[in-house]
Amino acid sequence: MPQLDTSTWFINIVSMILTLFIVFQLKISKHSYPMHPEAKTTKMAKRLTPWESKWTKIYSPLSLPQQ
Amino acid sequence: MNENLFASFATPTMMGLPIVILIIMFPSILFPSSNRLINNRLISIQQWLVQLTSKQMMTIHNNKGQTWTLMLMSLILFIGSTNLLGLLPHSFTPTTQLSMNLGMAIPLWAGTVFMGFRHKTKAALAHFLPQGTPIFLIPMLVIIETISLFIQPMALAVRLTANITAGHLLIHLIGGATLALMDISPSTALITFIILILLTILEFAVAMIQAYVFTLLVSLYLHDNT
Repeated sequence: MPQLDTSTWFINIVSMILTLFIVFQLKISKHSYPMHPEAKTTKMAKRLTPWESKWTKIYSPLSLPQQ
Repeated sequence: MNENLFASFATPTMMGLPIVILIIMFPSILFPSSNRLINNRLISIQQWLVQLTSKQMMTIHNNKGQTWTLMLMSLILFIGSTNLLGLLPHSFTPTTQLSMNLGMAIPLWAGTVFMGFRHKTKAALAHFLPQGTPIFLIPMLVIIETISLFIQPMALAVRLTANITAGHLLIHLIGGATLALMDISPSTALITFIILILLTILEFAVAMIQAYVFTLLVSLYLHDNT
């Protein structure tokens, strides 16, 4: 049984650890699993952003003072 | 003859350099990581397979156990692809190396056992004694259960090594018999050739089943300890 010859064990184990614990895990972790396609509501989600709560006069370009 | 039979299991070297590191690394290039939004067929099939296996294997675990999903999925893909590539003629199969299998089995088993002792000390210690043991049997049973716990990673590694080695040896022997019988009696050679084909199909199944069994047993040890 050449498997029991311990002179090659070190290189075997080191290369296995490199492959299994680093290369494979890095590759598998990069997989992206898309969501299932499902019907979404067409209404825009209401955003709670205070700076967009009202359209103030200063933001309207037409109401800016004429240069 | 005896030398010749086991020659394919010796770690290959080329001009004194160990090329086994390249052989062990090789399956990883079969799993390309794409950065595209839409994947190609190969990656889609691989992701479907990983999703299927992880759903099947990881649903029994709690949240703590499910953190091992990435590890177990890379383990099953690594062993499975190595086994399947090893069935190509004239190729070296790293999973026939006891050292590599021990290197996979011992850290994973130790990880589960340490996790059990760290987080569920009482339950982990309770595994050492089955319920309802007569009092005079308790010391002996504790010793037996302790030995059986420490034999688990050895059994895991030897199971994979023995299965793959035995399969390769059988293919080698029956292939050699077919070749020798070709000149003597072609009709008998046909029978052995059919047996060889059936055996090869069986070995493809064994290659995948053993990858699954190895991962499933690590997953069971994990389940016992989380």
